[in-house]
Amino acid sequence: MSTLSTSAPARAPRGTVTEGRRRVREKQWPAYVFLSPWMLGAGVLTLLPMAVSLYLSFTDYNLFDPPQWVGLRNYAEMLAGDPRYWRSVGTTMLYVVVAVPLKLALALGAAMLLKNLSSRGRGFYRSAFYAPSLLGASMSIALVWRALFNDGGSVPDVLGSIGIDTGGWVGNPNLAVFAVVLLAVWQFGAPMVIFLAGLQQISPDLYEAASLDGAGAWRKFVSVTVPMLSPVVFFNLVLEIIQSFQVFTPAFAISGGKGGPADSTMFYTLYLYERGFTASHMGYAAAMAWLLLIAIGVVTVILFRTSRSWVFYADEEGR
Amino acid sequence: MNAATFGVARRKWLPHAIAVVSLLILLYPLVWLLATSLKPADEVVTSLDLWPSHLEWSNYTTALEGVSGVSITRLFGNTLLIAGGAVIGNVLSCSLAAYAFARLRFRMRKVMFAFMVATLMLPHHVVLIPQYIIFNRLGLVDTYWPLILPKFLATEAFFVFLIVQFMRGLPRELEESARIDGCGPFRTYWSITLPLSRPALITTAIFTFLWAWNDFLTQMIYLFAPEKFTVTLALRSFVDQSSTSAYGPMFAMSVISVLPIVLFFFVFQRYLVQGMATSGLKG
Amino acid sequence: MPEPPGGLRPPPSRRAVLAALGTAIASTLTGCSTEGAGASSSRGVTLTFSWWGNDDRAARTQEAVRLFEREHPGITVRTSNGEFGAYVQKLATQAAGGGIPDVAQVDYRQITQYADGGALLRLDSFVGDGTIRTSEIDRGFLRTGTFQDRQYAVPQGRGITGYAYDSALYQKAGVSAPQPSWTWEDFEQANKAIAALGLKGPDGRPVTGANDGGGNEDIFETWLRSRGGQLYADQSRLGFTEDDLTEFWTYFDRMRREGAVASAADTAQAGSTETSPMGRGLTAADFTWDAPFPGYTTLLGDQIHFMPVPTTGGRAGSYFKPSMLLAIGAHTAHPKEAAQLIDFLINDPRAGDIQGFTRSTPPNRLIAANVAKTLEGPEVEIYQYAQKMEQYGLDAPPTAPPSGDVAIQTAFTRVYQRVMFELATPRQAARELIDEANRELR
Repeated sequence: MSTLSTSAPARAPRGTVTEGRRRVREKQWPAYVFLSPWMLGAGVLTLLPMAVSLYLSFTDYNLFDPPQWVGLRNYAEMLAGDPRYWRSVGTTMLYVVVAVPLKLALALGAAMLLKNLSSRGRGFYRSAFYAPSLLGASMSIALVWRALFNDGGSVPDVLGSIGIDTGGWVGNPNLAVFAVVLLAVWQFGAPMVIFLAGLQQISPDLYEAASLDGAGAWRKFVSVTVPMLSPVVFFNLVLEIIQSFQVFTPAFAISGGKGGPADSTMFYTLYLYERGFTASHMGYAAAMAWLLLIAIGVVTVILFRTSRSWVFYADEEGR
Repeated sequence: MNAATFGVARRKWLPHAIAVVSLLILLYPLVWLLATSLKPADEVVTSLDLWPSHLEWSNYTTALEGVSGVSITRLFGNTLLIAGGAVIGNVLSCSLAAYAFARLRFRMRKVMFAFMVATLMLPHHVVLIPQYIIFNRLGLVDTYWPLILPKFLATEAFFVFLIVQFMRGLPRELEESARIDGCGPFRTYWSITLPLSRPALITTAIFTFLWAWNDFLTQMIYLFAPEKFTVTLALRSFVDQSSTSAYGPMFAMSVISVLPIVLFFFVFQRYLVQGMATSGLKG
Repeated sequence: MPEPPGGLRPPPSRRAVLAALGTAIASTLTGCSTEGAGASSSRGVTLTFSWWGNDDRAARTQEAVRLFEREHPGITVRTSNGEFGAYVQKLATQAAGGGIPDVAQVDYRQITQYADGGALLRLDSFVGDGTIRTSEIDRGFLRTGTFQDRQYAVPQGRGITGYAYDSALYQKAGVSAPQPSWTWEDFEQANKAIAALGLKGPDGRPVTGANDGGGNEDIFETWLRSRGGQLYADQSRLGFTEDDLTEFWTYFDRMRREGAVASAADTAQAGSTETSPMGRGLTAADFTWDAPFPGYTTLLGDQIHFMPVPTTGGRAGSYFKPSMLLAIGAHTAHPKEAAQLIDFLINDPRAGDIQGFTRSTPPNRLIAANVAKTLEGPEVEIYQYAQKMEQYGLDAPPTAPPSGDVAIQTAFTRVYQRVMFELATPRQAARELIDEANRELR
């Protein structure tokens, strides 16, 4: 994420930067006043708990007795002695690979549709497309989801009527994970709004120019929408991937916190939760969290590296 | 000419047709939720039919009576208080921090910004217990402070980031001229930048409100007394794995609890897109 | 958090401050905190009291608590309740973060961990001086609240297991109403006989004899006990072998393969009684506890009755188990008042009347007999069932299970699912479970 942070000051005109810097060096304290709530929060409510969890990750801590220092044992057990850990990694990867593209595709499709609708009724449509995302993964939504995907529910019924006999999804270890994926995908409101914002920023002139060149709808999509939207796609991709690695609520709600059947919806954070709170191995859970954090960091850095080759910044020429 | 008129007409109704068809599918689970809230007890969980055999309005009257002796107005009032406090806190503290990151120069700015963005990646389960210990030491468990105070300390990095990006997209000229007129950074922030950032602030407010409204875990951990309970906590009280559960009223209460946020969203949604619009993910 | 590339290091002084703060936090983790969640108010004594359960239990408990407050001027009780899963997590967080409420409802499976971890107050002195009266509670049953022979909790309700079954289907299949001495072989024959009827459930699929109980640790424990075994030899060792578990899982696996019990998918998708195979009209029997049994008759009709868990050659494995217990937080500022509240909830006849059977059969015999007069319909049946089983003769309950049991219980269901979906043989699965269990008990 550091790329995002470093680029902004570079965009300011050269002259004013040095001038501004000299002036500001005299008065740094206003910045710290502005930052003081954040610094307090980041220090006490983020950094300190993180330090504690890092310490705990090297201990055996059952929530009741004082933590016992065990060095790297938690990490070693995780990587070498716990098949369920690796299964949860696999399940989470499957989720990331399936849910993220599906959700972003739907969000983009809905955003393009909304953009093409006349202004009359746009508020209604926008709210209606966002409505599923308003509900979160509450217990009632989980029960509705089970009812729809269980044996005899609407989804297997509809699929059955077109000749695809799946049976109930929730009780099938091969399909249960997709019921969770679809719940997450169904709530595509947030990326949709971000896409919509991005689409509205694309200058109509570009589309007009493309029309004059005789471009059809598909051509316009490929040569105007896609490149102009690529920074937004990238932003959504990064956010969704970070969130998907941490997927918890939909699986927790649908499986009643068990990650079943047969661990088929036992995602990484669900397993972390089970280790920490159900089985009271908080040290192990802390170690899991730290590896997750590192993994997300690595994936994000890789994304930023590759982004240079496919994300198009309109104002890049100015640099 | 015929074909052209047809083309224009098609351009008008086709998106609507697609939208309506997709909405029928997308909103089907919500219709199911609504229908279930009117089902009699023996059909709520088992029935495979969408429509109830008869409309069981008593689910709603039971839900409206509240839970554990706490009235429904109280539950909604508590939720509103928490969500409202969170909104004020996030808008204030996140915009303050964002202004510093976007417009001011100070030592370790890059490090702090990178740290702020990196906290987006933090799995929150792992800081849950240390945070609880801190709030317990401060004697704030079973108050609303653990739910509201963090918002006044800009702990939700997503919003700081959002507002930073928005402010970076704002023209600097106004601020420059304000400074020449002798405005200090605080005046500039308060009377120039903040009003200009309204769309981003409203976006922050909307998301904060929605998330606070739906939050369960932190409310569950920190609140003890039923009279402090919120709607999401009350929803869970209808259902207990170890005893007979009132599913019908729970569904009714779900519907009731979602109505305010649907209204809220409908009223404010037009700002949402605006707020994202210039938050310039241009890097 | 990975340090950003090229980032400046914080000056040492700040780091020293952070380190100091970290140590401060770490020291709180050791549990030496000052006071519990319930601090005393300026006027009189304020107790905190929390439990899990549904809305009905909440209403009755609060009524009983109000009565207690009237009887004890100067004591205010602040109550809180939640759904079981959330409650368990909250209590664990409270325990780690400085203390559980003055009075807390705890689960049988939590006692060892909480008592061993110093979260609970020893109650022996209160039991000794009569602040908490236990004379009307069965001695063996009272022992379920002990850890290392010290009393840490008092049972608040007494439950017993059995099977809810469809008597009409049993009759149709020619199986006579099961008696307390019936055996696991009889159970298998009954299941096969029902499957042989060839009936179809509401969705057109075959009706089988019972829900698949292979993933239920409680059934396994009952099965073990009926053979003279036990789940745990002591606090750190299992009481059964790989052969025992293989035999148990093979038993259910065989019945499922032969179509005598519910299919794997139906078992796996069940989320509650309503969505379980029996709730959906696909089986004739389901293992359950006495307290939830009336729910089955509401759901499925009056032909549903309660039958004993099968025995091995007449030896019953069932036992009276505390459905929930009351304990006092170790950090309470008002231990005596907390003990008075527990005594009141368990032994006061009026509190007994108010609470009724909301926590299963009251442990106090006199109160149970008194409350039983008000019972109706299926509640009468389970009350009589418990008496019948008591007369038949049950072995004393085991002491509270070791702290790893919570994890082992969920593992039991999960690992058996691997058998159900043919991802592992019963023996492979048994080995997996025992390995995992030994790691938890270590």
